[in-house]
Amino acid sequence: MKRHEKFKRILPAALAGVMVLSMAGCGSDGKTGDAASGDAQPAAAGTDGTQAADVPADDQASADGENVVIKMTWWGGQTRHDQTQAVCDLYTSLHPNVTFELSPSGWDGYFDKLSTQTASGSMPDIVQMDYLYLTTYAKNNSLADLQEFIDNGTIDVSGIDENLLQTGSVDGKMAAMVLSTSLLNVGYNPAVLQEAGVEEPTSDWTWNDFVAMCETIQSKTDKYGVSMDSVADTNIFNYWVRQQGGSLFSDDNKSLGYEDDKVFVDFVTMWNDLMGKEAMPDPDEYAQIATLGQEAGPVVTGDAGAIIEWNNYASKVSTVNDSIKMVTPPLAEGSDTKGLWMKPGMFFAIAEKSTVKQEAAEFINWFINSDEANDIMMAERGTPVSSAVRQHLIDSGNLGEQQIAMFEGVEAAAALCGETPAPDPAGISEVNEAFKKAANSVYYGQASAEDAAAAFREEANAILARNN
Amino acid sequence: MLTPWLFGFVLMWLIPMIISIYYSLTDFNLLNTPSFIGLDNYVRAFTGDATFWQALKVTFIYVFFLVPLRLAFALFVAMLLNKDHRGLGLYRTLYYIPSIIGGSIAVSIVWKQIFGNQGVAMTLLGAFGIEQKTSFLGNTHTALGVIILMGVWQFGSSMLIFLSALKQIPGSLYESAMVDGAKPWKVFTKITLPMLTPTIFFNLILQIVNGFRVFTESYVITDGGPLDSTLSYVLYMYRRAFTYFDMGYSCALAWILVAIIGVFTVVLFKTQGSWVHYEAGRE
Repeated sequence: MKRHEKFKRILPAALAGVMVLSMAGCGSDGKTGDAASGDAQPAAAGTDGTQAADVPADDQASADGENVVIKMTWWGGQTRHDQTQAVCDLYTSLHPNVTFELSPSGWDGYFDKLSTQTASGSMPDIVQMDYLYLTTYAKNNSLADLQEFIDNGTIDVSGIDENLLQTGSVDGKMAAMVLSTSLLNVGYNPAVLQEAGVEEPTSDWTWNDFVAMCETIQSKTDKYGVSMDSVADTNIFNYWVRQQGGSLFSDDNKSLGYEDDKVFVDFVTMWNDLMGKEAMPDPDEYAQIATLGQEAGPVVTGDAGAIIEWNNYASKVSTVNDSIKMVTPPLAEGSDTKGLWMKPGMFFAIAEKSTVKQEAAEFINWFINSDEANDIMMAERGTPVSSAVRQHLIDSGNLGEQQIAMFEGVEAAAALCGETPAPDPAGISEVNEAFKKAANSVYYGQASAEDAAAAFREEANAILARNN
Repeated sequence: MLTPWLFGFVLMWLIPMIISIYYSLTDFNLLNTPSFIGLDNYVRAFTGDATFWQALKVTFIYVFFLVPLRLAFALFVAMLLNKDHRGLGLYRTLYYIPSIIGGSIAVSIVWKQIFGNQGVAMTLLGAFGIEQKTSFLGNTHTALGVIILMGVWQFGSSMLIFLSALKQIPGSLYESAMVDGAKPWKVFTKITLPMLTPTIFFNLILQIVNGFRVFTESYVITDGGPLDSTLSYVLYMYRRAFTYFDMGYSCALAWILVAIIGVFTVVLFKTQGSWVHYEAGRE
């Protein structure tokens, strides 16, 4: 083991050495470029004893304005790929010694690839991270602690809501920097609602109103009232559980957090009834709808009334249909428990094994806080975390109608939001699969909701106990 | 001559295999430093994992239907193509195409469209007055059938092997059968089939091994659903490794599969004396 560790430390150093030698020959512009950006360097971690092994190399690199390559990966659609590329190009033009090696990807397969890369020690320096997997990676020490970069002033977090910032913290370590917020919302097509003669919902509506709306749309127009996969993951269920005053996971993440299986039974029964009344596609029908992609989904094309989605939905599909509106999700009947929460939209994390942590942290700071980077990205990743940037974007007048509505929606929803739950526990993707299976067994008519609830509890508790 | 092959074999094959034995005895989760846990992973598979049994059941059903059907179909088409027709080369190529592209993502997506909800199959049946609420892929009883059908459709490689074996059967045997006035069925069962047994044996082993490894179809078409009714063993292994970060356990699953395939192969080899006919051997 010792020898292995030693080798791991020597290898990057040796590689860095080779890089330095090979760059010495052609490094003259690199040097001048750095003189300009060098003043922005905070007195780096030289005094910080914890990092002793890597510091000399890093320190020298930044001090000399040595050319560095930052490897970065993210998931997203084509718009995000183009924008992120443009942002990185801009950064390189401002800091000529920093270049990027980018690996954009779709959501599908992104985390499969990342886990393989991480296992082989080749995790990119900057990694876009989701709440879903943050704990898993953080617990296994794959992610660098960003607290030191916050403490030494490299990353400015003054514009970020403290609660939101802490969502990136796992076991007392700042494992990732939150980039955006999102909220559960209901997106609806006003034209469909009008056709059915239904009033547009307001933020004080309840689940009963929601079900009634869906059924009316179905009976009046023969369209789906709501078109979605209610159990694709546990987010909507989490909202439901929180409205009943519970929490989906226990504090120690070793079991489910709610006591009474009635919570699960009621949830699944509501969706199952909607499917029975044809007011919602069953899983079989939805499997086919899902292949259309979100932009061609029934809500967008006017073949369904509503969908529960993240609050950037309307903005995301606005290129196809710019009349979709968003409202906060239904409240629980006769309860004012705040079920909603500000979900960290996505994160940037730095690989523990990265040799360019300081440079990566500087980039992240610029990415979050600078007007010029956000002018390019236009909140595509969701509502930006920095209040100054939000204000700047609103003032700039470049936002579309849906984006302005999204920004305003976040402010308005704040009153309905409770505390943000801790990051999803390790094993969450397996829990989600168990949840999906339990709920679908009801939707397919193969189990009663009560049996499914018990089966889910048993399976989820076993998974959580094993992983946490 | 062998060096490049040997290099590839050791590097890409032997070493990973040995490492995976080690991982199967650890709690490796891709990100941590593995620690040794003995046979816990194996015990867990057999005693505490219902999904393991489900995946095993699905895969066994798949293999038991797929292999005979695919071989029968391959032999049938090979016999048709063994005659002298015009454009025979074209037919051979056409029948072989599914085997080349059959395991691909694109074809899997096409099958999903055909047999999915409001797909071609449902629409056609609807035109004949057979209305269904759920599609073939959305029904836990039929989804695996669709996957098996797609497997049978990729009969090309077995067909080619059968075809070349058919060509090897001496014409004199058929001539003497004709002289004796044997009926076609008798010729098939008494000459063709016995002469083909070594080839059938070879194809059988090949297809059983292939069958146990089914992945793409169940990954792309159904993603194991509905309700795990098409969850193939390898897909489950993949999920364990890369989605659930359960690499050690996944390696154990892989070795259990190796053992299963090994048992099948050994048993088949043991039985071959009683049914496989080698020309040089007996007499």
